[in-house]
Amino acid sequence: MIVVDAAKCSGCSRCEVACSFFHSGKVGRAGSRVKVVKMEEFGIDFPVVCQHCVERYCVKCPEHAIEIGPLGQVIVSPTLCTTCGACEALCPIGAIELFEEIPYVCDLCGGNPRCVKACTLDAIRYEPETTGNVSLETFRKKSKNLTPEEKRVRFALTRFEPIRETWLSKRRA
Amino acid sequence: MLHGYGGFILRVDLTSGRVRREKTDPAYMLKTIGGRGLNSTRLFEELKRDVDPLSPENMLLFGVGPLTGTLLPASAYTTITGKSPLTGILGDSAAGGFFGTELKQAGYDQVIVTGRSETPCYLLVTNDTVEIRDAGHLWGRDIWETTAALRRELGDNAVQVAAIGPAGENLVKFATVACNNSRTFGRTGMGCIFGSKNLKAIVVRGTRRVTIADTLRFADLCRKLEADILNHPEYEQRHALGSTLLMKALQGIGILPTRHFQEGLCDYVDEISGETLAERYKVKNKSCFNCNIHCSRYFITPTHEGEGPEYETLCSYTSRLGNRDLEFALRMTTFLNRMGIDSLSSGETIGWAMECAQRGLLTREDLDGLDFTWGNTQTIEKILRMIVHREGLGDAFAEGTRSLARRFGKGTENYAFHVKGLDMICGDPRGIKAFGLTYAIASRGGDHLRAEPFFELTERYDEAERRWGIREIADRLAVKGKAVLVEHTERQALISDCLTMCKNIGLSMDLMDVDFAARLLTAGTGLKFTPERVDDALKGVIERDRLLNIDFGIDAGQDTLPERFRKEPLAEGASKGQTVPVEEMVQEYYRLKGWDERGVPRGRA
Repeated sequence: MIVVDAAKCSGCSRCEVACSFFHSGKVGRAGSRVKVVKMEEFGIDFPVVCQHCVERYCVKCPEHAIEIGPLGQVIVSPTLCTTCGACEALCPIGAIELFEEIPYVCDLCGGNPRCVKACTLDAIRYEPETTGNVSLETFRKKSKNLTPEEKRVRFALTRFEPIRETWLSKRRA
Repeated sequence: MLHGYGGFILRVDLTSGRVRREKTDPAYMLKTIGGRGLNSTRLFEELKRDVDPLSPENMLLFGVGPLTGTLLPASAYTTITGKSPLTGILGDSAAGGFFGTELKQAGYDQVIVTGRSETPCYLLVTNDTVEIRDAGHLWGRDIWETTAALRRELGDNAVQVAAIGPAGENLVKFATVACNNSRTFGRTGMGCIFGSKNLKAIVVRGTRRVTIADTLRFADLCRKLEADILNHPEYEQRHALGSTLLMKALQGIGILPTRHFQEGLCDYVDEISGETLAERYKVKNKSCFNCNIHCSRYFITPTHEGEGPEYETLCSYTSRLGNRDLEFALRMTTFLNRMGIDSLSSGETIGWAMECAQRGLLTREDLDGLDFTWGNTQTIEKILRMIVHREGLGDAFAEGTRSLARRFGKGTENYAFHVKGLDMICGDPRGIKAFGLTYAIASRGGDHLRAEPFFELTERYDEAERRWGIREIADRLAVKGKAVLVEHTERQALISDCLTMCKNIGLSMDLMDVDFAARLLTAGTGLKFTPERVDDALKGVIERDRLLNIDFGIDAGQDTLPERFRKEPLAEGASKGQTVPVEEMVQEYYRLKGWDERGVPRGRA
């Protein structure tokens, strides 16, 4: 899976650029499978991307259009998908989002993730052996009525907390 | 089909509430390219020259580069242009961050705002949908609160906001606009124009993807630029310190403004340097959209936190005012960013007052009882609050240093360090001659960014010989050839501004020139941008800017520097004994431009 070390992230969004460009030749956040959440007032920059979660909420797709590939990546069948949006709603952290009637989800670029190559700060790494060991159960709660962006913000805020604690203990000790 | 470009120009009249989307005209873009070139050409063609900058007729233009929001690194800037309330001439200011990219992804190359709303409003642009919304509940709130409140009420943390603070609302003449909280459109008072139009913010959400004409060729060019950035000898230092590296660098060459340019050396520079800032307060790097330098920094002090500061703010609130308290300067950085006032112009009003107090030209009675002793942080903080709210003495300070000194008279005008009403930046021109010429001729007033002739600091003598046949160009203290350098880098700076690229990369690191820009533009947009066409476009923009400023009342007499820099030699340090013979350089610059001795483009007199 793609492992995020948000303490190193500057928020430049080069991962988004590389993802969108590799998949479509065009550049735009809406076309990216990794999306950086930025909250300037807390110094938060956090790339949100599929966590290969234990629960695999997205495979509960009512059309059975989603399966998990050999790298642990999410694969959407374009023939079975009816763009109902269930996967977007099911993902607790906003890592799946529909854009122009296609569910955008990380496919690990077939094992050579372009976002990782684009990051010059080591804030995202590819660890092929790491998959299926993150639980998103706590984020699933009360996520039903949230937009993907709201879910990403909630995830980023929670995951960023220890980083802020480190900062504050270092600078305000 | 146009690639790279957003494809539309948005016109909004706040008086009538009328909104119009026009298609971007390829022929017009070949002539103006985008960003600053597009903005100032529009101003030249459409602005009635004698309008009061605070009247509804003044224009507020937002220009985004043709390749912003693509693979091209470090092209995240947006330029805001209008007739400056501070100077009365061409005004513009650029900032990085993420606002420009969002505007492009919403489909726009330029937004043109005219008129005045009767009540406070904000503009909400969501792709094709444009609304003018009530901002009564946001009026009075600072920039950070406003940004957070807008994101909250729109239910979308990903919207990009360019907003003003209380200073802009109160029509402080050097009020700023900021996006991403601390990415500041600092100079020439664009935030004051927002305030005069009752416009609190522009909020943008764009979900389109930007296309490229020749994708593979363009991607190759971008990869080359990225590699050039990463392999640059200055990369590590720029990554670690950003522009704050200049504190020690300028001290080293004896031109670090200290106690309002009375000295070029600061004996406590180690307490206020970029290195000290990084060691004690930095927690991580920050970045603009798609940049691989990540030169900005996030800091945390025992009481405050935020992004920045850049060199100009750091110097303005430390050595320039005789202040050695770095934590105080960081606190002021957050205050200026939240309230929305320019650090350089506000700092100059205070520096002027401190020097006039030192010389006995102003008494405490003149100054509302405030003690303007060097480094008096209580006074600095107090007067800043008075400026933001235009209270007491702050009302006069809020008009800018030129107006302030005229009002007090008694010789205080000699210590108002501005060119054409724009307060000088933090680089003493006596030890950097081409910069001195740049401040004198810059079309927005006393500022380096119009030409950023960084080359003179590099000691690349052989390269100077190769490019211009004048070795002295690489010697910062030499006068010879500096007009040639500035005439050249003025175009180099403009191409960066038209692409809304970062000039640290374009000029200081010397990685962008007309040829490379032409290749990028052709591959990116599909329009036939030959190097000749690009160069003609740049020359056209520079000439129109000059003609516009002549219409605004500028003449050769104002293409100069304050007396100190022309006549008082620096007393110590590596630029000891230096002054700037600005008149001869200005005349040579006119000749190179093909302007007459009054600085008027020939055939237009």
